[in-house]
Amino acid sequence: MSRLRIAGGHVVDPSNGVDGPADVWIEGGRVVEAPADPDLRADRTIDARGYVVMPAGVDVHCHIAGPKVDAARVLRPEEARRGSMARSDAPGARSGTLGSVPSSFSTGAKYAGLGYATAVDAAIAPLGARPAHHEFRDTPIIDKAFLVLLGNNHYVMDRIRQGERGRLRSFVAWLLGATKGFGVKVVNPGGVETWKQGRGNVSTLDDVVPHFEVTPRQILTEIARAVDDLALPHPMHLHGLNLGLPGNAATTLETLRALDGHRAHLAHIQFHSYGGDPGDLGRFDSQAGPLAEYINTHPDLTVDVGQVLFGETTSMTADAAVGQFLHKVLGRKWVSHDVELETGCGVVPITYDDKNAVHALQWAIGLEWYLRVDDPWRIAMSTDHPNGGSFLAYPQIIALLMDRGHRLDTLNRLPEKVRTRSGLGDLSREYTLSEIAIITRAAPARMLGLAHKGHLGPGADGDVTIYAPDDDKERMFSLPRYLIKAGEVILDDGDLRLWPEGRTLHVAPEGDIEADGDIAEWFEASSSIAFANYPVRDEEVANGLAVDGPAGRGSA
Amino acid sequence: MDEAGESRIVEHSTCLACGCLCDDIRVVVEGGRVVEAGNACAIGRPWFVSRKPGEGRPPVTIDGRPAGRDEAIGRAAAILRGSKAPVIWGLSGTTVEAVASALAIADRIGAVVDLAGSAEAAAKLRAFQRVGQVSASLGEVKDRADVVVFWGVDPLVTHPRHWERYSVEHRGRFVPGGRADRTVIVVDSELTETSRSADLFVRVARDRQAEMLTVLRSLVRGVEIDPGRAERATGVPLSELEALADRLKKARYGALFSGSSFGRGSAGAGAYEALLKLVSDLNEGRRFVTLGLGGPGDGAGASAVLGWQAGASSAVDYGEGYPRHLPGEATLAARLEAGEVDAVLIVADDPAAHLDAGMIDRLGTVPAIVVAPGATGWPRPLADAFDVARPGIEAGGTVARVDGVMLPLRPAISSGLPTDRDILDAIGASV
Repeated sequence: MSRLRIAGGHVVDPSNGVDGPADVWIEGGRVVEAPADPDLRADRTIDARGYVVMPAGVDVHCHIAGPKVDAARVLRPEEARRGSMARSDAPGARSGTLGSVPSSFSTGAKYAGLGYATAVDAAIAPLGARPAHHEFRDTPIIDKAFLVLLGNNHYVMDRIRQGERGRLRSFVAWLLGATKGFGVKVVNPGGVETWKQGRGNVSTLDDVVPHFEVTPRQILTEIARAVDDLALPHPMHLHGLNLGLPGNAATTLETLRALDGHRAHLAHIQFHSYGGDPGDLGRFDSQAGPLAEYINTHPDLTVDVGQVLFGETTSMTADAAVGQFLHKVLGRKWVSHDVELETGCGVVPITYDDKNAVHALQWAIGLEWYLRVDDPWRIAMSTDHPNGGSFLAYPQIIALLMDRGHRLDTLNRLPEKVRTRSGLGDLSREYTLSEIAIITRAAPARMLGLAHKGHLGPGADGDVTIYAPDDDKERMFSLPRYLIKAGEVILDDGDLRLWPEGRTLHVAPEGDIEADGDIAEWFEASSSIAFANYPVRDEEVANGLAVDGPAGRGSA
Repeated sequence: MDEAGESRIVEHSTCLACGCLCDDIRVVVEGGRVVEAGNACAIGRPWFVSRKPGEGRPPVTIDGRPAGRDEAIGRAAAILRGSKAPVIWGLSGTTVEAVASALAIADRIGAVVDLAGSAEAAAKLRAFQRVGQVSASLGEVKDRADVVVFWGVDPLVTHPRHWERYSVEHRGRFVPGGRADRTVIVVDSELTETSRSADLFVRVARDRQAEMLTVLRSLVRGVEIDPGRAERATGVPLSELEALADRLKKARYGALFSGSSFGRGSAGAGAYEALLKLVSDLNEGRRFVTLGLGGPGDGAGASAVLGWQAGASSAVDYGEGYPRHLPGEATLAARLEAGEVDAVLIVADDPAAHLDAGMIDRLGTVPAIVVAPGATGWPRPLADAFDVARPGIEAGGTVARVDGVMLPLRPAISSGLPTDRDILDAIGASV
């Protein structure tokens, strides 16, 4: 078994309280204790003196696979001018396209190039699980996982209306097993179903979903309960109501309160933190302050930001109503696709313009979130790729967080309203290297319940990023010196040397995971495919790894 | 595997005959052959039953003569390796796995990748890339649609079970009365089997479809129109146009199915764009979606793989070392026309069904490697031909329906032949 020693680097491993010179030893793909025998030699030693050594990055929320991502790739040929990715010399390497929605091969390679080794697609319709797994097979190097969409599922809403918690729990367990999913996502609970009925949208937690006679409050609390009861590694991952609408902060706060007593992860919280009135942008302002205060005092809740960055990108969401809203507001092309019994989706190109006061405020609100959540373990870096911007923009965000002067310089170039309607200018906090390591790897791994990710203690995956220290933090984090994945040097000075497949992380919930006859009967009566053809076959899952939860570890 | 004499039943098989991808077929095997296909329609049944494997053809030929597989794979790899302008064509009659294997070769040798049927698809793709598309999985139509429009298509003839399984007869959660709860509208240039079963038929000439869609869009949006101009442009009386627009607007959940009636080129793209915009606009106060009926085989799967690997669903050129989407240029026909092909790898489709005679003649001058069921029996000279197992009957894998839903194949019998994927992977490993 090959033994790698990363010698003498400045190791930043917040999970294990390490922030200083140390060696990291990796054997059999995992971090091991330094050998007791001082004469024991490594097969390869990387001299990391003068370098910063961190666990590889972990992305808790992005959109990198599945039919809506695929539609977005095809929708935007005009982005070809933003460059392409030629094949590297690594054996088996492939070429790809770039732009706001890179092709599958480019996605894996670019995450690796950024020093990331794990990414979680946050929104796959269960019926889209099969194509998502086939895309994961073509998304190299990184470990992948996805969350399945449940917040508008007919069977789920029927069980909630009937008050059948046990059957709801069994369904969730069965569905995760059938799709080889990693966790549960709820998007605009009940709202997508309402919209698919041509009846507008829900706007409060207590609106009643037509036909199903349940409320968003019931849906999100009952699913959160089922996820907790199943002890899944990752809590319910929530995209709440009224995304992107002025005044939505009030609903967001009510949502946080409704979740009392449950674990939950609030996705792209920036998009849910706006003051003002719906339909009136005149009073649009930041409400990150009071919402962050709530998060600060409620330890069962975590967030990722969904940072907006200026430039061209593609919005994509299972919140189908948002897609139509953006299409109407922006007048740009619109892909929408309803998924039977489960969900919908919307894809619309968008350009975040730094001269647009609303867009500039969205940028500021995202940064406020990073700076206002006191405990970095409770907040993860995200752009909601590609919604707020590309994952490739993470180094830009890091630079803004670590350097207040740089942040104020940017803020002062933006429209005046941003400075009066956001408190960003008053926030003097600067992130330390250790805090950056927390929000980009240690915290997202912990939120996901991936005990073998995001740290460098014995037993952790041998996924390590090595950076050359640089006063220009954007450059430092854009160009890692090395990425090591499962103990193998993948990236060396900007070149991909190896092109492994990466793993597919999924859960295998225990207990009653046989579909009861009731599920099959409902499915056969309602779906357009045979129940027997719904589950993803084992051979369709690329290099699968079942993860136990919570705080469990993987077993092959 | 060929269990002579034994009788077996394979449930939930997926039929690739017409594009419906019915996945409830009960395949009965006797003596190593398919003898019955329960639930299959008049198109699906012969697809499963009457096709016979092998029939004494050699499994592999080189220049028309029987040859060993390894030799032929070595030769195929040598031809492709030495090619300066290779084209990989077809891919619509196989699985997403085999398409991925073919694209791995394309990436390595810098080939043009062109899907069978791309000329028709190109116009629709262009319209999609301009305005997007509002669509749904077929189960949504089954469960919700109270207005169903068949525009220039005749599913009762071409997709016999569409009506029963997806679009009209099913008693869905939101349409509990089934057929009685749905208004079925046919728009076509002539009376069809489907129009005779519809509630409303509107006749429009093929070359007036774009005008018709534009006028309908104006009516739906409540834009003032000049009745005389509208009638002259569409050839349809205003009363009929208004009645149609009114029915569309009364939908709670509308679904419009179209096919290839818009034709190719910019005219086809323009007409299809008008359709996409009409459907998009209809989503005010109601839901309205549009889909195709789908075609035989797995063209949807091939487009999907090309989409996620290369960012475009057809017309991809890997010649620069990365994928470029070159509509109208990165096609077999365009490259043959320009004399810019020196090797072609044909997978799972027969060019004779897609290209005109002149193009077939030109194709005959180019070294061709064919990986397709029955290829060794084709009447044309081929550099290399590999007979392979038929997906869905003798070979497994995964296929996609027109709405993107993916389904597993359940091969009922063994042909003793390798799969196309096996051959492509072997060629890919030697290129």
